[in-house]
Amino acid sequence: MLVPMLLVISFLVYLGLEFTPGDAVSHMIPPELASQVSAEKLELIRESLGLNKSFIHRYWAWLSHAVQGDFGHSLAGGVAISEIVLDRLPATLELSAAALLISTIFGCLLGTYSALNRGTLRDSGLTVVGMLGVSIPEFFFGLVAILLFALKLGWLPVGGRLMPGFDSWFDHLPNIVLPALVLSLMMTAGVMRYSRSSMLDALNRDFIRTARSKGLPEWRINFLHGFRVALTPVVVLIGFRLPTLIGGSVIIEEVFQWPGVGAEFIEAVRGQDYPLVMMIALFSVFAMLLASLIVDVLTAWIDPRVRMGAK
Amino acid sequence: MERSSLDRKFDRIRDLEESGQLGGARGNRALRKLLNNPLALVGLILFSIILLASIFAPWLTDHDPGKINLRAMLQSPSAEHWFGTDKTGRDVFARVLYGGRVSILVGLGSALLSAAVGVLIGCYSGYKGGWIDIVCLRISEIFMAFPQIILVLLLVSIVGQSLLNLIVIFVLSGWGAMFRLSRARMLSLREEEYVQALRSFGVSTARICYKHILPNALGPIMVNVTLTTAMFILAEAGLSFLGLGVPLSIPTWGNILNVAQDLRVLQNNWWMWLPVGAVISLFVLSVNFIGDGLRDSADPTQQG
Repeated sequence: MLVPMLLVISFLVYLGLEFTPGDAVSHMIPPELASQVSAEKLELIRESLGLNKSFIHRYWAWLSHAVQGDFGHSLAGGVAISEIVLDRLPATLELSAAALLISTIFGCLLGTYSALNRGTLRDSGLTVVGMLGVSIPEFFFGLVAILLFALKLGWLPVGGRLMPGFDSWFDHLPNIVLPALVLSLMMTAGVMRYSRSSMLDALNRDFIRTARSKGLPEWRINFLHGFRVALTPVVVLIGFRLPTLIGGSVIIEEVFQWPGVGAEFIEAVRGQDYPLVMMIALFSVFAMLLASLIVDVLTAWIDPRVRMGAK
Repeated sequence: MERSSLDRKFDRIRDLEESGQLGGARGNRALRKLLNNPLALVGLILFSIILLASIFAPWLTDHDPGKINLRAMLQSPSAEHWFGTDKTGRDVFARVLYGGRVSILVGLGSALLSAAVGVLIGCYSGYKGGWIDIVCLRISEIFMAFPQIILVLLLVSIVGQSLLNLIVIFVLSGWGAMFRLSRARMLSLREEEYVQALRSFGVSTARICYKHILPNALGPIMVNVTLTTAMFILAEAGLSFLGLGVPLSIPTWGNILNVAQDLRVLQNNWWMWLPVGAVISLFVLSVNFIGDGLRDSADPTQQG
């Protein structure tokens, strides 16, 4: 499913780019010189670049290059797109992984806690806090966090990833704290709500009653029996949250000046750097499809019912 | 034997019945359940306040949201300017009220439109099945393969920035989920006996689909409309904050927040961004409360 989907989407996106103003040649020649270049000469350049061929031909040429790892060049500066993305990717992965880790741990813990204390004041309190978490715009939360912890208290840096001259992993630990916490807020709330209902569901099953009738201690019932079954839908949810994570990181990277792919994407959209916009969008689709594949594998690994059903 | 809470509830209902106080319940059952949910009620009230304040903005403030007043630059909140003024002396309170009009229009309008598109296609293709269904499903898969904000930004860069474009883009990015939802409901409902009865009477497909089955699928769709509204309000705010959403000349909640990208404004002029951020959060919160209440009230397994 992955390859045909990517092909179709790349075709559509390439088609979309046809409707954007200008082509490679009009971007190559500075506007102040454009009037001095004769129409025939422009035509010659277009022909030498293969731009006057039909749309299908050009798509095919682009595709055969892309398959070999040549994704073209950005309009601004003419740097190879693969280079830009590879340069920016570690920062994004670092931030996303941190947020994923934080939100999974806190979300599952709070959700389970909420489910075990079902109907109490603590439970409804957590529910309202969770609602707040998905309602506050992430960038607004980020702004408040910057104001509070960076500008007023001065505990953490305002943004950026590395101070010049420092490059070890430890040196940018303070820089990642704020963006990772802010980014994980919305996801934590989502995971919490989901793991709560999933845990409640699991606790009502027959095997929990069996475990209890065997006289197992309550913590063993809850964590070894209930939690494991409750975990499966949560893993699926975390997979489905990846788009939110990728989407959220676009804005959060911009707020915290985090030099990741998301911030680059926004720069590209602002600068109308169409090839770069297109390639980053395609990479994100690839990442999403890959993520859903991984979720399928993980679910089968955790849940024996899925594994057996497949056979 | 210990009596459970259900026993007590049952007794209470029986007592009421015997004393003749129960009577026929008036009004819509789902609506009554919604109003009995305290959080949903808080949500409804908050939602109405913000919505009405935006609609009746001209009666609530004398200031023009776009009027530049260079003698009143960067004033902190006062009796004259409730939320202070911005860098060009425009009244922030008026901008928040008028901005709410556009932001709510974009959020609610896009959510309703994508629901209309998604449900219209989803019901038909779910009921009909066959190649129409497969084609629609594949198309929706293509749209849903993108992370939402990436798709929105990609489309913004292709078609350019304007209010109408943004709504169209939101609908394009949001109809897929509605389509999936209504299609899935349709697949389970179309095998029901009343549908078979209608079909044997020779009722037309469109009539069965939209008149007879759709009302039974409306509950989850309504819940989804509220969640999508919340999502689009947040998306508009985020995009406009980046300067890539609604053009900056039109006041929206996101466009007002745009100034907070400047660290000096962030540190020194809190009134320019903190109140509007709070308003967005409260509005989205109220929509989420309503959505949650609707989910509970549409669920027949929960008594009310």
